[in-house]
Amino acid sequence: MIPVLELQNLSVDLPLGGFLTRGGLPILQDVTLSVGRGESVALVGESGSGKTTLARAVMGLQAISGGAVRFDGKAVAGRDGFARLRRDAAMMFQDATASLSPRLTVGYLVTEAFRIHRQPLPDPARTARELLATVGLPPAIAHRYPHELSGGQARRVGVARALALRPRLVIADEPTAGLDVSVQAEVLNLMADLRRDMGLAYLIITHNLAVVRHVADRIVVLYLGRVVEEGPTAEVFAAPAHPYTASLIAAEPKPDPRKRRADLAIRGEVPSILRRPKGCEFHTRCPLARDVCRLTAPDLRPTTSGRLARCHFADQHQE
Amino acid sequence: MGMTVVLEVQNLSVAYAMPGGALQAVRDVSLSVARGEVLGIMGESGCGKSTLAAAMINLLPPAARVGQGAVRLNGTDMLRLAPAAQRALRGRSVAMVFQDPMTAFNPVLTIGQQVADFVGAHDASLARPDRLAAMLDRVGIPDAARCLGRYPHELSGGMRQRVAIAAALLMQPDVLIADEPTTALDVTMEAQIIHLLRDLRTTFDGAIVIVTHHLGVIAELCDRVAVMYAGEVVEEGPVDAIFHDPQHPYTRALLACDPAVVDPASGRLPTIAGRLPDLTAPPPGCAFEPRCGMALAVCSQPVPRRVPAAGRSVLCHRGAE
Amino acid sequence: MSFVVDPALPARRGIGRALLADPMGLAGLVIVVTFVAMALLAPWIAPYDPIALDVKAKFLTPSAAHWAGTDHLGRDLLSRIIWGARLALGIAITSVGIAGVIGLVLGLVAGYGPRWLDSGLVLVFDSLSSLPMIFFALAVITVLGPGTLTLILVIVLVSFPAYARLIRTQTLTLAGADYILAERAMGARPGRIIFRHLLPNVVGPLVILICMDIPVVIMLEAGLSYLNLGVKPPSPSWGNILAEGYTSLRQAPHVVIVAGVPLVLATLGFTFLGEGLRDVLDPRGAGRRWA
Repeated sequence: MIPVLELQNLSVDLPLGGFLTRGGLPILQDVTLSVGRGESVALVGESGSGKTTLARAVMGLQAISGGAVRFDGKAVAGRDGFARLRRDAAMMFQDATASLSPRLTVGYLVTEAFRIHRQPLPDPARTARELLATVGLPPAIAHRYPHELSGGQARRVGVARALALRPRLVIADEPTAGLDVSVQAEVLNLMADLRRDMGLAYLIITHNLAVVRHVADRIVVLYLGRVVEEGPTAEVFAAPAHPYTASLIAAEPKPDPRKRRADLAIRGEVPSILRRPKGCEFHTRCPLARDVCRLTAPDLRPTTSGRLARCHFADQHQE
Repeated sequence: MGMTVVLEVQNLSVAYAMPGGALQAVRDVSLSVARGEVLGIMGESGCGKSTLAAAMINLLPPAARVGQGAVRLNGTDMLRLAPAAQRALRGRSVAMVFQDPMTAFNPVLTIGQQVADFVGAHDASLARPDRLAAMLDRVGIPDAARCLGRYPHELSGGMRQRVAIAAALLMQPDVLIADEPTTALDVTMEAQIIHLLRDLRTTFDGAIVIVTHHLGVIAELCDRVAVMYAGEVVEEGPVDAIFHDPQHPYTRALLACDPAVVDPASGRLPTIAGRLPDLTAPPPGCAFEPRCGMALAVCSQPVPRRVPAAGRSVLCHRGAE
Repeated sequence: MSFVVDPALPARRGIGRALLADPMGLAGLVIVVTFVAMALLAPWIAPYDPIALDVKAKFLTPSAAHWAGTDHLGRDLLSRIIWGARLALGIAITSVGIAGVIGLVLGLVAGYGPRWLDSGLVLVFDSLSSLPMIFFALAVITVLGPGTLTLILVIVLVSFPAYARLIRTQTLTLAGADYILAERAMGARPGRIIFRHLLPNVVGPLVILICMDIPVVIMLEAGLSYLNLGVKPPSPSWGNILAEGYTSLRQAPHVVIVAGVPLVLATLGFTFLGEGLRDVLDPRGAGRRWA
């Protein structure tokens, strides 16, 4: 079956505005990933890992410097290609309130996609009501302005708007950032229901591992713009193949005072993309780094358990 | 651990003047924190935890009105002090660390200048570069001496939070209040700040108050927890008791819907239906009653505070089940 | 799950009502409305023909027959002031309005369009605003001859670059906003983004600036007319009344005073209105946020 979304060796460079210097600073390097029909894939990494850049590159909001984006098996290129992609794929932004045009009512905003793509919209008020009902909001919300919504409501409006043209893929950038625990649970349940009812595929970008465990079938871990591990969520959480993934899982605060960590899982900070470490880029923070890691960069290779990891010793950690 | 109470909040009520009437953000809250103890104040947005934290350091916004109650620091009611005396206490005896340390720094001054200004205002001898560097070193900043010459934007969020903690600790305050200290940080930085704060408990002799909505941070860091809902402390007790034997239905519901505790295979997450009551006209009975799955007829009556065990209290009509 | 609409959330307050609640804005609004009414109703409320001569009745001081007195040709000053309002406001509002529309469109295009277009437009704005205003005005008037249309043209050319630059700066800031990015991700074309999403969010400050500029333009018109470079006599421009009043300042000081009062009032009125609007429209202002 052809995946909904495929990224093939996608690279994004930040242009360096020099007069003589050409090229740029690599933000994303050779990222290959796919999202199948109805599948939910999580993209995980710290800030600076390039995950938001990746989402923007997919939607054509960020120029790519290499590789290809394929949607439904067809390469996306040019204005028409992205126009079609933007109809069949939708994006949810991290700051839901800020992503709603402030002077327009919710009713207009959720139906705007019909107007943009010149789709028939015989009864806008009714369509708005139906979309709001899908995400569990009362019809009266249609007359509100974005600044009058609570964080959870704005998030739901963002979902409703993303669903307007029945997309096949939703890219969600930190879908629960800034939400209270109880509201976060409501939003995650809603996303799960929609996936079941509408056959949506998700690409979820987040650093919240608890969320990932709940909603993702597969997880892709990014470090400094490269994929360092990829595999089914349950397997990755049970036995991470890359030490970075293991550190991220260990670093997550557990809501159980009896399971406090004694020591630190990971030290230091993500290095600046201006000074990428030589060899394996994670060796500066890796608790298991050896000499070879400082010299030779590992490739993204299949492990014995059939996952992908960018580590010289991937198979050894798992044992 | 000695049980000398440093900070005590007694029957405190704080309201905000609003066009539709006074919004009662903190309602009759009593709490205390002892030397060497870490108290967590946990709750969702709108529960009044940030207002309570601001009252503890006597930094309430101008629209806030203290209705009744006292905030005693080593026995002195801070709310009744003259403004100059309050300023002297602030920073010196009570220090605060904010969610986004970037906003707490002046972008055009170096880290060293700002920290020196801050502590020098209280005690000039503390502002010596070697002492500043020693403190930055203690909070885990690599190359501390050079860090003093940097500007806030040159540091990462995690580093800025460390600097903020260092500046607060230089004064050797009696109480350190941290309002969502890890919310703006990545998981790995969050873990490091938690580690740092936990580490400090052994060397820092004051009390620490952590205000957050993040259950994991509370569980990792605190000795005692106060759970807030609609301006009230609905449950208080040792961290282990709160997480493993919650008595208040709200605490139970809140713990249940954290995706980190729910078995992923079960699919759906529990939620808390309904929303916060209107705090301009809080109900006379239990504020959680409309959302509570176990509500009884008596729940619309004023709620007694029960003490199910030593060091615990619950604001609920129902007995222990 | 239940999501009840919370009645505690404030409804969007009308700009009009908010303006009425602000004493300065209210004062400005009252003055401006009065002047506009005067201008519109001039043919019906002016007691005399503003250019009818009655040399026998020259330099009459204010009386029951002539509330504001008469000038050196015996024309009724009150009627001239009322008709003058029509001229002053007509010129000011037309010219500033045209300049505002030009500035709005060019500013949006410069701010959201391609880089080369932006550079070109900024060059135009900067060149025009680098010319000294009075010198430029005199040059244009010399070439085209004095008159109402020339005056409007001068004002448009002098004022639109400032408007365009204001709009451009705001557009540049907003172009990176999440909601603009979200609109692009939905496939919205530049025209829709500019006119439906950027325009309503940048137009507020322009309205304020225009409001504060109207008195400047009224003064400019009066000044140029005073120098005989604006509206041609005998049209009852406030500047003309002043100019003629000056020649007889010693004999009849009331002429200058009577012509000066509306000028001062109109200036204050529009300035107050502009400042009131700024307080109301500026989202950072109080009253539009809740805790």
